[in-house]
Amino acid sequence: MQLLWQILINGVLLGGLYALMALGLVLVWGVLNIVNLAHGALIMLGAYACYYLFTGFGWDPFAALPLAMILLFCLGYLIQRYVLNLVIRAPMFNTLLITFGLEVVITYLAQVTFSADFRTVNPSYAGANFVWLGATVPLVPLLAFGVALGLTLALWLFLDHTRIGRAIRATAQNLTAARLYGVNPRQLYALTFGIGAALAGAAGTLYGVVSQINPYIGSGLTAKSFAIAIIGGLEKSIYVLVGGLFLGIVEALTALYIGPTYTDVVSFGILVLVLIVRPTGLLGRTA
Amino acid sequence: MKVGLKLALAVVGIGVLATVPSWGSAVLVQFGINALILATLAQSWNIIGGYTGYPSFGNSVFYGLGGYGVAIAMVQFQLPFEVGLTIGVALAVIFAVLLGLPVLRLRGHYFAIATLGLAEVMTAIVSNLEIAGRNVGLILPLLKGDTPFFELALALLVVTTLTVAWISRSRFGFGLIAIRENEGAAAVMGVNTTLYKILAFALCSVFAAIAGGIHAYWITYLDPGSAFDVTLNVKMIIMAVFGGAGTIFGPVLGAFVLSGISEILAIKVTSLASIFFGLVIVAAIVFMPRGFADLVQRFRHLGWRYFQENIRTYRV
Repeated sequence: MQLLWQILINGVLLGGLYALMALGLVLVWGVLNIVNLAHGALIMLGAYACYYLFTGFGWDPFAALPLAMILLFCLGYLIQRYVLNLVIRAPMFNTLLITFGLEVVITYLAQVTFSADFRTVNPSYAGANFVWLGATVPLVPLLAFGVALGLTLALWLFLDHTRIGRAIRATAQNLTAARLYGVNPRQLYALTFGIGAALAGAAGTLYGVVSQINPYIGSGLTAKSFAIAIIGGLEKSIYVLVGGLFLGIVEALTALYIGPTYTDVVSFGILVLVLIVRPTGLLGRTA
Repeated sequence: MKVGLKLALAVVGIGVLATVPSWGSAVLVQFGINALILATLAQSWNIIGGYTGYPSFGNSVFYGLGGYGVAIAMVQFQLPFEVGLTIGVALAVIFAVLLGLPVLRLRGHYFAIATLGLAEVMTAIVSNLEIAGRNVGLILPLLKGDTPFFELALALLVVTTLTVAWISRSRFGFGLIAIRENEGAAAVMGVNTTLYKILAFALCSVFAAIAGGIHAYWITYLDPGSAFDVTLNVKMIIMAVFGGAGTIFGPVLGAFVLSGISEILAIKVTSLASIFFGLVIVAAIVFMPRGFADLVQRFRHLGWRYFQENIRTYRV
């Protein structure tokens, strides 16, 4: 029982980070109808931004987070404005392939610039933890969980309660109608993709603190983000929290009861199963 | 006349290719085997992705199952290559039918991601199988010489292309094209869409599995990461799309051109070749989204405006 409680806590903490990883993907998918295969590569860039700010300038990872987000926002804005906007009305298949092309370019540019070595971000408090209700709570994942939760809620408030947020949602629903109300889709799409990239940057920063990084982590993270997004459903950005927590807990339980090498079997198995049984996600309305 | 000319060209091309091992250098022959296998994969993807319009990201599963069929039969049971290949193909077809049934009901993004998920699941399952050598993989017995593999790969590509040619003018093929253009309408017209889609999926699994089996025996090594590689899957798609998906020779042409270019670049720097590969994908989707075949056809009338025209159609 004690062990189960500990596993649940680990799963929940991991799940928060998972939710943040998938949040940008869901936003871009929902608004632009682009399934961004380069999302994981953007997370990877965020992790490297954190690594270099930490080792080069001695910035605390949590202080580096806003700067990483700004950098990734700029990159995402430029990618959408000057590349993806050129093909956005093409069949969905073309946009899928072009983001894969971007993923390859980003990954191998990263390999050339950062080298293929594994890197870790090790702040002085990396191993700190405390005991709560008999379970050990590691400090860094808890902080990461808090930030992830905060950013998810912030995005939700932003989309629901600001002018730009409403414009983004309106465009997602009906591009022509939004245009008639004065929305400039070129700008708005670039802005949305930029926000998605910034969220990936934030996820990357936190990922860099809790795990090792190298230039090739991107594609695996993209696949995991898909699983989270699909489990939660794409209807509301807040649902991604459910997907993230669900997957985090399931993975922790799988590692305990079946074996740590089976986590991928279970998480991607759930992805396929949810797609087949309930393509709208666990919380989505039935079609 | 035009069809006759094309046919003659194809026959001469195959004849010249078949003699490559007798005069080509070892490097050329090895490059040739890789290019032929990639062309076969692109061509087999063409059946489900190009003609039926279902962008499968899981064809590498068939390729991997073919490879593992051969590897497990030869390493664990000391069976001959042919038996292993048959087992691999059988596994791939069973997989295509059993999982095609639920997955082929999905469309667009959802189908793409479900097949991508299947590829990830298979990688994860196989890395846990004792009989498949877990994460470490299997080492196959060595067969000296590249020539038999070259001829085998060439024969496979020819058979695959002939099958696609048959599809493009058969009742079955028209059914697939109807599904691609409008699935609802196809069903109303009396096409058994479920059956047709499953058949197309199973058909492309056969060729991909054989290609995987040949490649595994040739390389004599197989591990889950390379067998079910998602990048390989995207490679076959991009080659088919670059050459022209839904055409008979497009995927073969795309595979030859793209593997040729990346081979030349790989001589200099490997990572450069990969960056270039990514840039080609981006540029191809922006400037020639309907493939090389369409470019050749319409460039004559439009000239350089062709590229402008493409961007104008799809930008926002």
